[in-house]
Amino acid sequence: MPTRALGLTYVQSTILLIVVGAGMLVLLVAASFRLTSETANRAEAIASERLVRIAARQTHMGLLRAESGQRGYLFTGEEAYLPPYYDGLEEARTGLADLVARGVDPADAARIAKIMAIVEPKLAEMAETVALAKSGKREEALRVVATDRGLKYMAELRKELEQITTRADTVVGSGLFELAQSAHRLSITTALGSGLLVLLAVLAFYIVANNTGKLVSAQESLRQMTNDLEERVNDRTLALTQANEEIQRFAYIVSHDLRAPLVNIMGFTSELESASAQLGEYFKNDNATEAEKAKAAEVATTDIPESVGFIRSSSTKMDSLIGAILKLSREGRRELKRERVQLSDVMTATLASLQHQIDEAGAAVDVPDTLPSVVSDRLAIEQIVGNILDNAVKYLAPNRPGRITVSAEESGGRVKLRIADNGRGIEEADLKRIFELFRRAGRLDRPGEGIGLAHVRSLVRMMGGDVTVQSKPGEGTTFVVDLPKKMAIQNAKEQTA
Amino acid sequence: MNTHNANPVTIVMIEDDEGHARLIERNIRRAGVTNDIVPIASGNAAFDYLLGDDKSGAVSAKRALLILLDLNLPDMSGVDILQTIKTNPHLRRSPVVVLTTTDDEREIQRCYDLGANVYITKPVNYESFANAIRQLGLFVAVMQVPVAD
Repeated sequence: MPTRALGLTYVQSTILLIVVGAGMLVLLVAASFRLTSETANRAEAIASERLVRIAARQTHMGLLRAESGQRGYLFTGEEAYLPPYYDGLEEARTGLADLVARGVDPADAARIAKIMAIVEPKLAEMAETVALAKSGKREEALRVVATDRGLKYMAELRKELEQITTRADTVVGSGLFELAQSAHRLSITTALGSGLLVLLAVLAFYIVANNTGKLVSAQESLRQMTNDLEERVNDRTLALTQANEEIQRFAYIVSHDLRAPLVNIMGFTSELESASAQLGEYFKNDNATEAEKAKAAEVATTDIPESVGFIRSSSTKMDSLIGAILKLSREGRRELKRERVQLSDVMTATLASLQHQIDEAGAAVDVPDTLPSVVSDRLAIEQIVGNILDNAVKYLAPNRPGRITVSAEESGGRVKLRIADNGRGIEEADLKRIFELFRRAGRLDRPGEGIGLAHVRSLVRMMGGDVTVQSKPGEGTTFVVDLPKKMAIQNAKEQTA
Repeated sequence: MNTHNANPVTIVMIEDDEGHARLIERNIRRAGVTNDIVPIASGNAAFDYLLGDDKSGAVSAKRALLILLDLNLPDMSGVDILQTIKTNPHLRRSPVVVLTTTDDEREIQRCYDLGANVYITKPVNYESFANAIRQLGLFVAVMQVPVAD
């Protein structure tokens, strides 16, 4: 019988746990990997947006520096304004190149194209004015500036560059938010996965612990069962050994008791033979003396009738022995019937049938008002109680008023019926013998064949019970009939087989 | 016969089967033994005769007894009688011949252990039976039996 947890066998649930655990680990690793790479992508995107923004700012700053250098030089004519102008140009060109390289966003690309279209005329305008100023035509250069052409270019450039910066700022802002989100998701996933793994571990521990507990208790109950079985085998072996010994004893008694009359029959047959030979001799002898005549007469009138008498009585004895054995054997084969038997009823009926003998012996019988009932064979119980009570009345002590006490106790599915008397008692050496066939104990001053108690014991055994006796010579005897409260059905069935 | 003893030997035959008792008696007589034979048919009667009313066995003092004992008695086992005889101070020297149908090996050993002097199994075959008893009679005719103390 496999131990089961959650409706699965131990092996099934263990395998399921391993598969689920491995699956969860794979999912966890995949999710972490995906989330990590997503985070990395996002960080990269943010970085590149920032570079776009830097490039735009650099371009813007460069243009502003170049323009302020140009204006300063034009208004003051100071050479000192020229280096910032060139630096600004340089910075603006580097920034622009960077922007062109990094501005992969479609919106940016459109704006960069626009910027490229405007930046060249602006740079050209600045270069033209600086060149005019260098060649001493400052008035002409200032007129060019006064057209506000450069200003218009610059405003448009600033607008485009600021839009790029703003868009990059927006993208960076939302990118940072998403980055935080995805980092959060990563930690939630990790925490969830860890929690599930811990749960799986707990479940696995529970299943193993549960299974171990079941194994231990199964082992315990197995040991219990083995012990019970051993005990039952021992009990049964003891009962069988006892039954076997009884059968051997029975066969021994029967064979020897049957042999005794046989010795008589054969012996007296031989005696008859020799008597007839003697008589034959006598009749053949015409000159018989008086002594021989008297001897022949004695043989004919005494020896022969004596031998015939013994042969007859031995034959009768043998017949009655065989009859008794047959009776026991028939009783042994009788089909027991299971029915509810009130021991009180059996006791009342048995005492009524023995009333004559009880009155004659002047005995008193104590029977409690209520006795237990059993489910057993009524006829067998009547015969058991009848034989024991009959013996109790038959062997009362002549020197004191007889008293027979009946009692019963019920415990553990068994009923013990006690029949105690204050009769003459049985010697300890005879306590076993009295249950044997054809054996009697004490003075043989009462009629009996030595069958009653042998019959009682075989009936009690057939019903799954036992009968025991305690006795003190001169004080009394107690028979205890121990019967199952409910006779097993097999005891009834076995008899039909 | 028995000229050495003041008391002639009495044969006590403890045998419940009347027929056996008669056959044993006839065959002992045929062997020429004329001693008194006391037939006893039960264990209790045997105790009454051997031990007396006070159960001490003093009644058997000064008696010269030869006991023939059957083991299969209806009221008790002959082994118990054997044991009683062999442990009684007045009876223990009396020879006991166990004469029975029992041929169980352990039973025979047990009787000798308890002090039986001879153990004879009654043969079913009558010729052998009669022979055995007659030989026993011859044996009784020559044996010395001590007078009990």
